[in-house]
Amino acid sequence: MSIATTLVKSTPIFGKMFAVDKSTGLEEINAWPALMIMSSFVWLVVAGLLGLVMPATQIFDLSSDHFYTTLTLHGAALTFPFSFQLMMGVGLHRSGGCVGKAITGWLPALAWLSMNLGGAILTVAVLMGLKVSVVVMFPLPLVGAQMGVWSMESVIVGFTGIYLVLSCMILWYPLLVLKMMFFGKKRPELVLSERSLNEPGMLGMLLAAATLLLTGLPLVVVGTTLLLALYKILPMSLAAWAADPVVFQYTFYLFAHNLMEAMALMVASAMYATLPLYLADGSRKLYSEKLANLALWILLVTSVTSGLHHFITFYPNQPAALSYWGNIMSWGTGMGAAISVFTVLATIWQHGLKPEPGIIAVLVGWALYILDGASAIVTSNIAWTYQLHGTMWQSGHFMTVILAMSMMWMGVLYHHYPVLTGRRLDPALGNRYVRMMTVGSFGAAITMLAGGAAGMPRRFADWHPEGWMLYGNLILFFGLILGASFAVYFYNLMKSREISSPMGELATA
Amino acid sequence: MLDYVYTGWGAFWVTMFMFVPFALMAYWVIRRKSLVDTGPTQLQPGEFAPIEGVWLTFAFIFFVVANLASLKFIPWAAASGATDGEAEVQVDFTAKSWSYDISNRQIEAGKPVRFSGRASDTQHGFAVYHPDGRVLFTMLMMPGTAKPTSVVYTFKDPGKYAVRCLEYCGVAHHRMQDELTVVKAN
Repeated sequence: MSIATTLVKSTPIFGKMFAVDKSTGLEEINAWPALMIMSSFVWLVVAGLLGLVMPATQIFDLSSDHFYTTLTLHGAALTFPFSFQLMMGVGLHRSGGCVGKAITGWLPALAWLSMNLGGAILTVAVLMGLKVSVVVMFPLPLVGAQMGVWSMESVIVGFTGIYLVLSCMILWYPLLVLKMMFFGKKRPELVLSERSLNEPGMLGMLLAAATLLLTGLPLVVVGTTLLLALYKILPMSLAAWAADPVVFQYTFYLFAHNLMEAMALMVASAMYATLPLYLADGSRKLYSEKLANLALWILLVTSVTSGLHHFITFYPNQPAALSYWGNIMSWGTGMGAAISVFTVLATIWQHGLKPEPGIIAVLVGWALYILDGASAIVTSNIAWTYQLHGTMWQSGHFMTVILAMSMMWMGVLYHHYPVLTGRRLDPALGNRYVRMMTVGSFGAAITMLAGGAAGMPRRFADWHPEGWMLYGNLILFFGLILGASFAVYFYNLMKSREISSPMGELATA
Repeated sequence: MLDYVYTGWGAFWVTMFMFVPFALMAYWVIRRKSLVDTGPTQLQPGEFAPIEGVWLTFAFIFFVVANLASLKFIPWAAASGATDGEAEVQVDFTAKSWSYDISNRQIEAGKPVRFSGRASDTQHGFAVYHPDGRVLFTMLMMPGTAKPTSVVYTFKDPGKYAVRCLEYCGVAHHRMQDELTVVKAN
């Protein structure tokens, strides 16, 4: 029995939801993805409970310390060990079944361990007092320690945790994907749905892995230098270049921005791979694979440098030419989205759709992603960003992209769940989850964008001035609906029933 | 009208302009083809091409127009028009956790003001709010830069303008606030 299978089996409550099916001989592609997906949902519960603390500090007038502690933990837990890990688990399961290769060995173990150990260590650092938000805000960690707001030990522990999480996203996961696609022998008994790299479903996964690896390497160099200096292995004088705020911020956002874009490429590819399986006429064809691939390439080419829009208000330290470039490239991603809108709707119009909860969740998540994309390109426009940067608009954009991707992956999981566990989910509960998540996610997204339009600052522990509490209360209301939708999703996983032929379920989905 | 479009609320409505028609169309297509008429479409594959062309052309033109129209609202472009023949009033400031050191807090309406700021410890923001609550502009400062971050803005209305840091800078970030007073021109 695989270590991953044992770990899943020995986990209380969640272990029951993801107990690996060994009867089909697919344990080698089921075990590590099941452990990753299960772990991601544990982090979701943690992030959800922490999310409640932020409005609670406003309503009950608690110390702002609680707000900033939970702001950091909620954002970090939701983004990395939940959202990224969910994508990693479902995505690996999908590619394993498409290329017929086992997900075994030290790489998946390292990816899982570095993500979860890193998340846990970062949590310890935040509980030690480090409050730096999900984007670190360098050089804030060092400045806070110099000012005595938190200890240097918490900075070292925090950077260690962040470094482990980054190593999973920049190195272990992309290397694992590339290894599966280009190395090793295909085993026919592991092939569930064979696909080639020319198909958009696989192309997006490859482009995403390459993006993470290439845009993340500069941050690995900077992060390694800083970490060695913090541990006093390297003299600080040799690490001074990496501690320069401008160097750190640009390398950080080169990766962080492209992390979001890579995750977008991944969900777009998952959409292109999953939608054809639910067409009413059984044709299993997209409207146009060429157009779908073109959308992915446009997204890739435009998004790599569009992250310059993060520094438009830094003018003239960021030259105007770079800001214009970031502005134009960001709107270029909109053309990729416009093409994907046409491809998806034309596919459904051509072939009809079997409205099962999994694919509907994917489509609703995709619609949420289009809302997010619209808000993102608007705030990348130079004129608008001067009025929106640093407001709740940006939090709304960030939260929406995470929610959209999560909803799409949770939808794709409906499709993979029978293979992973040999059990079937209840469609009625699935539909209830989709309805609740739709209301909660769109409500929260639109409210946060409206709050930003009204000038409500992000990462700001006082929602009372200027009537911002109205937006805060609405975000709480929709957040509770979101939480309830996740509870329904988990209840469905708990209540899942055994099926006699999981492979047959997949084939007829 | 464009004056309103390129504000925070203008951004909100432009986002909705892009999203709502898409959402209605997507809902209609998915509902119709999954519940009402799930059979194959009567449209031949070749008949999709004109719709595809019209849709992508519309999206491209909209994207180009939205960005071209925004050019005159970009602060550095607006500044070149506003300062035409008129001297700028210089306001220097330093942002430090968690306060501002501002050279001049009283400003005359109608005169272009150049705000030049630096951060002395960590990242900070400098967002100026109109008395009605909307953000007029925001600036991002990082420590150690060769040049100060800079914006030129001409205030129209007299009143008290709140200044807030919009870049998270630690446990008292929300208390990093100040105020500018804009008075009528002499």
